[in-house]
Amino acid sequence: MLWIALHLPALSLEAFAATLPATLTAGANAATAPLALMDARALVAVNAAARAFGLQPGMKRATALGLVPQLVLGPVDAARDAAALDAVVHAALAFTPQVSCQGGSAPDAPPDTVLLEVQASLRCFGGPGRQLPLLLRRLQATLAPLGHRLQVVSAPTPLGAALLARVQHGLHCADGPALQRALDAAPVWLLGPGREHWDALQGMGLRTLGELRRLPRAGLARRFGDGLLDEIDRAYGQRPDPRVPVVLPAAFDSRLELFARADTTEQVLRGAEVLLARLVAWLDAQHALVRRCTLQMQHESRWRRDTRTPEATALEIALAEPSRDAMHLRVLLRERLASLPLPAPTIELRLQAHDIARQAAPNGELFPSAASEREGLVRLIERLQARLGPARVRRLQRLSDHRPERAGATRPVADPAPSPASTAGAPAAPLPVRPVWMLWPPEPLHERLARPLLDGRPLQLLSGPERIESGWWDGALAERDYFIAQATDGALVWIYRARLPPAESDAEGAGWFLQGRFA
Amino acid sequence: MDIVPAGLSASPPPALPPAGARPGPRPADEARARLRAAPETLHPGLWLGHQLGRSAERAEPTGFAELDAQLPGGGWPRRGLTELLLPHPGVGEIRLLAGCLAATQARGRLVMLFDPPAPLSAWALAQLGLEVEQLLVIDTRAQGAGEAGRAPGHDPAAGRRESDPAGRLWALEQALASGHVGAVLAWLPPRLRADRLRRLQLAAAQAHDGPAFVLRELDAARRPSPAPLRLALRPGGPDVLSLQLLKRRGPPLESPLTLELPPVLSPIALQRAQAGRVAPAPVLHAATFVNLA
Repeated sequence: MLWIALHLPALSLEAFAATLPATLTAGANAATAPLALMDARALVAVNAAARAFGLQPGMKRATALGLVPQLVLGPVDAARDAAALDAVVHAALAFTPQVSCQGGSAPDAPPDTVLLEVQASLRCFGGPGRQLPLLLRRLQATLAPLGHRLQVVSAPTPLGAALLARVQHGLHCADGPALQRALDAAPVWLLGPGREHWDALQGMGLRTLGELRRLPRAGLARRFGDGLLDEIDRAYGQRPDPRVPVVLPAAFDSRLELFARADTTEQVLRGAEVLLARLVAWLDAQHALVRRCTLQMQHESRWRRDTRTPEATALEIALAEPSRDAMHLRVLLRERLASLPLPAPTIELRLQAHDIARQAAPNGELFPSAASEREGLVRLIERLQARLGPARVRRLQRLSDHRPERAGATRPVADPAPSPASTAGAPAAPLPVRPVWMLWPPEPLHERLARPLLDGRPLQLLSGPERIESGWWDGALAERDYFIAQATDGALVWIYRARLPPAESDAEGAGWFLQGRFA
Repeated sequence: MDIVPAGLSASPPPALPPAGARPGPRPADEARARLRAAPETLHPGLWLGHQLGRSAERAEPTGFAELDAQLPGGGWPRRGLTELLLPHPGVGEIRLLAGCLAATQARGRLVMLFDPPAPLSAWALAQLGLEVEQLLVIDTRAQGAGEAGRAPGHDPAAGRRESDPAGRLWALEQALASGHVGAVLAWLPPRLRADRLRRLQLAAAQAHDGPAFVLRELDAARRPSPAPLRLALRPGGPDVLSLQLLKRRGPPLESPLTLELPPVLSPIALQRAQAGRVAPAPVLHAATFVNLA
């Protein structure tokens, strides 16, 4: 058994920072903006910048603001932390199904450590000796988009790894004796029951777990209860420590409450990127690709009893080709958001994935091939559709109708291919030659000396007539004689003379019309 | 011809001198003589002013032998814009390009058309040998109108984008920069600024592996353009295209080329057209005669 413990020392602060607008945390401000989390009246956690200003957990709010007026104070939110930790758990599930969470040392502390059992996964990561470093590198690369600081320790027992991860980073205990040595040197306050007896233990001169373990067990049990011994035994691997693995939720649904109202799409996008990273982690865990997801933006009403502002705007993203590429999803979301008018400021985001495809991710390719080009094309078309609208990327279509204006159509690429009946292929006899540019509606032409004029110059009829009579059944009757004519500059045009008398052809009109240009 | 770059003349000859050659200044002289004789044999990117430009990329044959002979590389250039200037749509531009586009489609690559000026007839394109289902038509115009029709409120962003030519060219630039499109045919908005064209030319030169045609109005001939090849097309008679090379990598060509396009007319109609070219004169004479009477 080999357990990796991922301890997130600043989980609450990082989950809070993700909800902040970009102006506070982007670029140079990232390290210098002082952040703090506040329980009812006192600070609970402060970041490095705030600590540099002299802030400490436990300070009163007024004291903190007096010291650092530009301090960003946020409330503690257990649900927000849990959602952020869930994303880490999902990302870890891509490596092993045996993932569990471990809380802090206080009895009711929320979980802030993720445990992975990776013994069985190791053989997927290269030859002996380099398996674990490779796996750890991959694990950290996978977790990087979530933006958490990690302390990683691997050890043969889950509790031992979890305890050591709270105080160390990068430690690897290959076997029981190594773990024992590491634990013996660890401070005694790591143990949960140790914390409540901290004063007593300190008074006895016990600082490390090794010193505690050297005491007689019966005496320890009588004095501090069974819990302390039980935890020591589990950490050292002298008692079984079964763990219940986390089960991946069947559907993805994640929320993010924004710290400040998001007025622009750019601000919404920043929050949405956090949710997208969580979605990708969830997809990675089950080797699935998303086909359709919805981003819901909860709006804040502009004034009380504002009934005109909708409560939420939903933005649905449908992909032509299922994907779990975070970059591609982000580009699509950016284009869609840029063209979406927001009726009111957004205060909360919610991302749901309804439709996923369970299939292996496509292989990456070093050199361009037909498959990679096709995938690149699909993405290009998706990008164009996202920005221009799906109706603006169209395919041409041949229809079997003799009226030229009905013989062709375009349909959006997103639409499924039409049934074979509507595109009955070529008509029985090959069509006479047709012009490429088909003007609709046709342009009426003036007439002089029984010859049609184009731009004031007479047209010379060269070929024709080709008579088309069709459409008496659908109300668009066409009775026309088509000619190919030559304009004065030598260009060929396609003109027709309507054969219906004017009274019957209100829609069509009479006389000569220009309908096409041969290009 | 004597102007030879100093770096080139000073560099050692690419081939070893023959075994019997005397040491001394002879090899350098030989190299200089060879350079004078044919600098274009040294590198495909090198040519003389009176010669046609060449490039390492093979060009796409146009399907017209007399045009191929006049184009650098012997065809439509890849990785670069080709500008076609037309007085109006319908002078034979599609018939000129159909061979190249059909060849691109035959290789299984996609052809994209941006903003065609009028509806395209699918049957006519099929008659020219193109695969209609493999053509993608992208309309970047009138964005405001379409969205205002759907959404009840006016969207100021859509209107802004419509008036902004850079927004319209975004799609074209994406297609060129993606490198996955086989050939691109784009009708550009009129009075386009040269820096916008330069962006397109850069995108085409860096990523686009295939010909990229941009079609513009004839007035644009007077304005500079970064496209390496510019042609002005005019109708030259029935089924004849008169093509003037405005810019190419090579010496200027003064006289326009006359290309026989794939015929639309039957032979009889063509005869009638050629006979009719003299015919208008008597008709006019008759008209004047009647007027005088």
